[in-house]
Amino acid sequence: MKNNKVLRNAVISILIGLLAGAVIILILGKNPLNAYYNLLQGCGLLPKAKYASGRGMATDLLSYIDFLTPMLFAALAVAVAMKAGLFNIGVAGQMLGAGFMATVLVGYSALPAGLAKPLVLLVGIAVGGAMGALVGFLKYRFNINEVVSTIMFNYIVSYVVSFFINTRYVDAVSRQSKVISAASRLTLQDVMIGGYKFNIPLGFIVAIIAVFVVKFVMDRTVLGFELKAVGLNNTAARYAGIGVGRSIVLSMLISGALAGLAGVTYYLGYFASIQPRTLVSTGYDAIAVCLVGNSDPLGILLSTLFLQIISKGSTYMSSQSGLESEIASVITAVILLSTTISILYAEIIDRIRSRRADRKGGETA
Amino acid sequence: MSTINTIIIDGMAFTLPLFIMAIGGIYSERSGVTNLALEGLSGMGAFVGALAAYILTQQFGATSQVPYYLSFVFAVIGGALFALVHALICIRCKANQVISGVVINILAEAVTIFLVKTINRGVFGKPSDKIDLGASIRFTVPGISKIPVLGAFFTRVYPFEVIIILIAVVVWYLLYKTPLGMHIRACGDNPHAVDAAGMDVARIRYFAVMMSGALSGIAGMAFAYSISAKFSSGFFVGYGYLSIAALIFGNWTILPTLGACLVFGMAKSAGYQLVMYLGYPSAYQDLVMILPYVLTLLLLIFLSKHNHAPRALGEVYDKSKR
Repeated sequence: MKNNKVLRNAVISILIGLLAGAVIILILGKNPLNAYYNLLQGCGLLPKAKYASGRGMATDLLSYIDFLTPMLFAALAVAVAMKAGLFNIGVAGQMLGAGFMATVLVGYSALPAGLAKPLVLLVGIAVGGAMGALVGFLKYRFNINEVVSTIMFNYIVSYVVSFFINTRYVDAVSRQSKVISAASRLTLQDVMIGGYKFNIPLGFIVAIIAVFVVKFVMDRTVLGFELKAVGLNNTAARYAGIGVGRSIVLSMLISGALAGLAGVTYYLGYFASIQPRTLVSTGYDAIAVCLVGNSDPLGILLSTLFLQIISKGSTYMSSQSGLESEIASVITAVILLSTTISILYAEIIDRIRSRRADRKGGETA
Repeated sequence: MSTINTIIIDGMAFTLPLFIMAIGGIYSERSGVTNLALEGLSGMGAFVGALAAYILTQQFGATSQVPYYLSFVFAVIGGALFALVHALICIRCKANQVISGVVINILAEAVTIFLVKTINRGVFGKPSDKIDLGASIRFTVPGISKIPVLGAFFTRVYPFEVIIILIAVVVWYLLYKTPLGMHIRACGDNPHAVDAAGMDVARIRYFAVMMSGALSGIAGMAFAYSISAKFSSGFFVGYGYLSIAALIFGNWTILPTLGACLVFGMAKSAGYQLVMYLGYPSAYQDLVMILPYVLTLLLLIFLSKHNHAPRALGEVYDKSKR
């Protein structure tokens, strides 16, 4: 019953978002159905009219999966923190920190692929986890609101990384950090299969494993139970003998580690370099994905698959229909807004239902 | 002009918008509604104000001062109306106030950037991702500005700095010296008492949250004029969160918050001057930019023990709960 309601709210929110998007597109004098069709085409879920040589629908599909992998990690990161009652909006900073360290330590080394790729993942976990744990520690020890501290860290990391890139690792042409070695990149580039080129995202396999591990830890272990208890009622958890401070630090550590994985699959997977002074929007969008997925790992998997269609497909849509690609973030934001006000339409549905029940009662009497 | 004077002049231009935004936050939070949406509210205010200024400039001509002052009026309206969304989510829908604040920020950034591009292309017929504002006029008070050091406070002043100081005095009076102000503060500490006294808690909170939007709008417009003379995606750099940090140091009271804002403002402009003075390459600006953020964290670490947030902050008011 409860799951049904959650699913219903998510579906209604998404519909409201798409509807709002359609209205905006109509106002701009374009056809929303065409625009949404373009979104699916851009993700390789529907065939395009024509393809460049060596590229096909499956190429786009794999590119879409490559694109959504960091988001899956990032949304899981938000979810783990949220279960413990914490709001990790520092995912973008943790991603950047982890991505930068992995780039410098492994990406610029001459290590062979078999060693470099696992090492990239490990560095990502370690750096992201450390950054998350620090936020948890500040929250527990000094009672610093994690929202404020994570945002401060976002900016600090962004500027510090930018400083090091500009002074040491900058590529003179692209003005980004130098491209990492192919051996360390988590996405295999331009693999030829049957005459088509594919980018194979190895990170996606890790992400799927992460979904089930997080699900298992949260639902089936003492650790998960303790985190949820702290999130639901801090005081009650303390009286029950749960180490609240330890739980806060641990949940932020896990959250940060997942954000770190998001970072390495983004900066050393989908991309191969870092743009200075830029925090990716993935960190914020992950909050939307997590809320639409009701902070449940499987729900998040579904909402990632869906919401990333909008983001990934928007570039193709923009080129086809002349709409600004930013409309994707507007639609995502409206979906997010509708999830937060889900209590409103839940009330409306309940009222309609009870009115209908009244009428039925009247007929039988 | 001496370095110290430059530090003060630039520092005040940053401090005052931050301060008025923080006062907005104080209004909202003293009424019991957590407001992390200041960033988005100021962005929406700046967007509405900038758009109004752009249109009005075409109407009145580039030399007229009317668009400049009217843009602040529109920024106030834009910020207040957008704050109503936050208020509705928090009060009517009883949603988590922290989440709502972040949602408002995401919404503001997405909507404003999309609208800037769409309006530029569709209405003004030139693809662009920003709204250009003319450079703000600045004035120097003759006589007083000649005093060493202190004179800097009267040199090359933006008109909005005067507006902000005047408004700050008014809203300070409103919060601490009027019945309405007392009701607002009571709503944050003991909403049941306010209810028992026959006042409408929800209505007072709506007012306080919209007030925070209005004040943030002024701040946003001021930042748009002083920092870049335009509105673009580069507007969203987290000053809203900085002002939240300032009001936390200020212990949710207005005058100590001014002190915190001064520390931020002066640290920022002093850092810039330091890099210029030492003659380092521009990449070193990045290291200076982290100063206000690092300072925020350090101050929070040392001060947060002594802080007392309003007691009912972040709680949904429920009549039946005692």
